[in-house]
Amino acid sequence: MNRRLTSLVMVVVLLVLGAGVARGQGQVGTLEITGVPTDVVAGRYDRDAGVFSADVSDIAGALVSVKLEDVTIVGKTMEWRTDDNYLLFTVEAKLTQPDFELTGDQIEYFGEEKKLKSLGSVVVITDDSTVYADQLDYDEETDEAMFTGNVRVVFSDGVLEGEKFLMLLEQSELQFFGSFQGEFSDSDD
Amino acid sequence: MIKLRSLMKKAVIIVAVLTMAVVLLFRYFAEPPPPPVSVSPSVQLLESRLVGRKDGLRQWEIWTQAVLQTGDVVTLTDLEEISIFQAEEAYLFIDAETAVWDRKLDILHLHASKVRDEEGDFYLESDLLIWAGTNETLTSPGPVFILWQDLEIRAAEMVLESTTNLLYLKDDVQILDGSMVWRTDSAIYDLDRESIDFYGILVLEEEAGNEQEID
Repeated sequence: MNRRLTSLVMVVVLLVLGAGVARGQGQVGTLEITGVPTDVVAGRYDRDAGVFSADVSDIAGALVSVKLEDVTIVGKTMEWRTDDNYLLFTVEAKLTQPDFELTGDQIEYFGEEKKLKSLGSVVVITDDSTVYADQLDYDEETDEAMFTGNVRVVFSDGVLEGEKFLMLLEQSELQFFGSFQGEFSDSDD
Repeated sequence: MIKLRSLMKKAVIIVAVLTMAVVLLFRYFAEPPPPPVSVSPSVQLLESRLVGRKDGLRQWEIWTQAVLQTGDVVTLTDLEEISIFQAEEAYLFIDAETAVWDRKLDILHLHASKVRDEEGDFYLESDLLIWAGTNETLTSPGPVFILWQDLEIRAAEMVLESTTNLLYLKDDVQILDGSMVWRTDSAIYDLDRESIDFYGILVLEEEAGNEQEID
């Protein structure tokens, strides 16, 4: 079981650190707004404030997406503050890379603080597990990922449930706060 | 004998009259009429300053070496500098090869134009610019290239509304902002508020080797 969780942890680490490495190397990033009719405003860039915002929530089939290497973040609304490199996606927000998917009511990335946060109906899907929570906070500096509120980790052979679940990525440790309940069938670990 | 002399006199008179008649006939009827004298309706001026006004306020001012006026149309060549005014203050300066001003319609066509502002923050290039005095718009019906506060803007068409300072960019719009390139169907750039509204599909690409990131 620990191995599976560790693998999930590593995926999160790779995801966030991967984006950081890509930034360091000056990789090409792309923002796209698709499915918007030509007479409808897709987005606004306020150069003075250094803020780009887009809201296509009223347009069926329209989507805002940001791609960096193999990481893609999509949503129906988006705000990007260029000064402190803050990114916010809401409404059908989803972050994906080939072996990982994060959905939530909103996904935020704090570029200066190097933190990622997802709020509301958080679901993290990996190859071998799915984590449900109310909130996910990832700190790139400390390599910690905290799932809080109605945390539920589902494996192919079992389920873990609790209120607070911390992944210490560097140490490959998992910390469960408060009461946690687990139920597993025969494990091959 | 007297009768013969009388007859001779009459004959001479008749011949003389006939000769005069033939000369006159050839002169006025057989020969083509002389061509009408060409009097041009135009007025040509040299080294002039033209000022366009609306409600008494200067809208533009042109220094030119040659002005040819034909009816309501004024053609200016060997242009020096054109100034566009806003509230009596020159805020845009235009270099153009030729300018054609329709006085009645208050429309100024500028060919091969380069526009700049006083501070050098704004530069615009277009093969044809049309200044419409009635609605105070500067239109480029063809491709346009603009430099505005470190932005490089290209579009297939453009309209600059001087009363609102809104820049309408149409078709194949591309805005280069440092290492970022915005591509969209059309955009409206509010020059006062420094904000850009993008219409239709939008793509922003960040090129490699930059410091500003989009993630």
